Amino acid sequence: MTTISYRDEGIKLYSTGTGLINQIVSKENIIAQNMKTRIDDQSKPQTMIQEKYTKRYQNLKVAEALSNNHLYPFACNELSSIIDLGYSQLPKDLKAFIFRDCLSAFRLLPDMNTSAAVSAANLLVKSVESAFPKQKKNLAIVEFKQAKVALKRRTKGHDEHIDLPSLPQDILVHIFSFLDVYSLLSSSQVSRSWNQATSEGSLWRSLFDLHFSHKVSIHIHPGFDWREAFKNEYILYKSSKMLRSGRGYCSYCDSVVWHDNLRCPKKQCRLKSGKKPLDLMLTHQVVNYLLGTTSSSDESDSEDEAVRGLWAYPTLQ
Amino acid sequence: MSESDMAIIKPEMMKSYIWLETSDGSIQQVEQEVAMFCPFICHQVLQKGAGSSKNNAISLPQKVNPAMLSLIFDYCRFHQLPGRSNKERKVYDEKFMRMDTKRLCELTSAADSLQLKPLVDLTSRALARIIEGKTPEEIREIFHLPDDLTEEEKLEPLKNTMDDPRIRLLNRLYAKKRKELKEREKLKSIEVEEHVDERSVDDLLSFINGRDHKVVNTSKSKKKNKKRKEHKNGTCKVSNKDSHNLHSKQRSVDETSSSLGGVSNLHNIEDDIFSRKAEFEDGYIDDEIDPALKEMLDREVEDFARRLNSSWVLSVGQERQPVHFSINGNGDTRRLTGPAARHK
Repeated sequence: MTTISYRDEGIKLYSTGTGLINQIVSKENIIAQNMKTRIDDQSKPQTMIQEKYTKRYQNLKVAEALSNNHLYPFACNELSSIIDLGYSQLPKDLKAFIFRDCLSAFRLLPDMNTSAAVSAANLLVKSVESAFPKQKKNLAIVEFKQAKVALKRRTKGHDEHIDLPSLPQDILVHIFSFLDVYSLLSSSQVSRSWNQATSEGSLWRSLFDLHFSHKVSIHIHPGFDWREAFKNEYILYKSSKMLRSGRGYCSYCDSVVWHDNLRCPKKQCRLKSGKKPLDLMLTHQVVNYLLGTTSSSDESDSEDEAVRGLWAYPTLQ
Repeated sequence: MSESDMAIIKPEMMKSYIWLETSDGSIQQVEQEVAMFCPFICHQVLQKGAGSSKNNAISLPQKVNPAMLSLIFDYCRFHQLPGRSNKERKVYDEKFMRMDTKRLCELTSAADSLQLKPLVDLTSRALARIIEGKTPEEIREIFHLPDDLTEEEKLEPLKNTMDDPRIRLLNRLYAKKRKELKEREKLKSIEVEEHVDERSVDDLLSFINGRDHKVVNTSKSKKKNKKRKEHKNGTCKVSNKDSHNLHSKQRSVDETSSSLGGVSNLHNIEDDIFSRKAEFEDGYIDDEIDPALKEMLDREVEDFARRLNSSWVLSVGQERQPVHFSINGNGDTRRLTGPAARHK
């Protein structure tokens, strides 16, 4: 099939997330093709497509992420995007899954207790309000309101004027070594002592290695400011945009995963990949993968436009 | 900690207990295998021969209190047995880490002073998981940390900020004052005493009007946000306005101090603030002097601003006429002329 050869071409030329997703899509298609030939003629192609969608959604593991304190906001945002971009197109059972996950998102909100979680949930409620049919919408909103009440109740009983022992600087640095960029930046704004601890060069050096070492080679000299270097590369590579989704594509397990500090959460993949980080994905790319579309988001830059031309052909059987 | 070490010690000491003394003076004995799991204790025993008797107890570092010590020894007791599987250890560790933040911090300090690296790692990871994904304010709440950075430093987290110890002190004082004001607000919302508030509001208004009429605009705009944030029922309107004015004043003085980052003649002021601070704290104990305290606060703030102004003039010298702190409608002091403008 000529379409496959286009794909192969594309994969060589563009190793961005978009190209890789289409790699996934093509592989899915191959699997689907094989499955089709094995099943007898009585099976309807409709159910095949439905199962494919549902399977992809389950592979995305959104539901698991919701119970994770750190991933909850990412998961909510992804749900919002899925609903915004394609709720009407989804098959019936996938709609049910999404509905179930929205409900559990709201149910879990009181446990999360961070402002990031609250704003993510607010966003989700807005998507729900605009896209869901009446009955489901009302059920979801009721759940959300209950969650907000529970949240209020929790924050009320919190005034303890105890003084915590202050941690020594080297312990703070050790703790910060486990943090991602955003948490580290937040920590630097907490207090004077924490701010000093976050200026430790080794922290920024390891972050630099994690994010940029495979892309950038640098000259180190005595007095080299790793934090400045990180900041420059971060801006250059638009990391803030790429990190917003919490998602990456792992070529070793060939799946879209919630990255754990830019690595695949699966141990075998981490061992195989060594120092190489995952390819980060944007949320709309994840949604495209799920729905099998090639649409680009509102914030697409010119690069996305150029790629789209090459992939403008039907991808689903 | 090898087997041979243990073999040497055992016949020598003829005991299986080690004596330890914690910072509060209490002495206890612990099984040898358990205690020797800690490198610190291990060194003390091997190099100094301590811990063999009650009189010769090993004095533990200050950060190790008895509660933490028992926790640590629970950990050691479990892990020092070589027969445990990795999975068992993992499960135990996860269960062990379930405690409130305060204890986690104490445990981390204690483990660090005893040089028990695996426990330090464990607690550090747990603390990192708590910090992950939270805003600075949330972190401050959890760890009860003071908010002692200037607004400028917060805005530029990736930039190296200048490190003036005097500014640091001032910021800490402001943070304390802000906290105290918050507490006063809370008290005020409980006791609805209108006549007391009336008086201080008048004072404040005259203070504000005396300085700059534009500040009133600031307080009004901030009022909306304040009202949305505070869901206290039955708070008297007057007390709200009170706190707003104070807050906006605090903020405006904060901003002036931060925009004056480079001023160096501050040590006089800081000494004064210290002595005033002592006064303030004495007055704080006596709760009946609410309005009087507020007046003192106002005077302090006014004084400080005046001093900043004068010292600014001194340090700048040359062409500068006394710089007027004009505060725009949004409380932004960045339109100052000359050297002040340089800071932004």
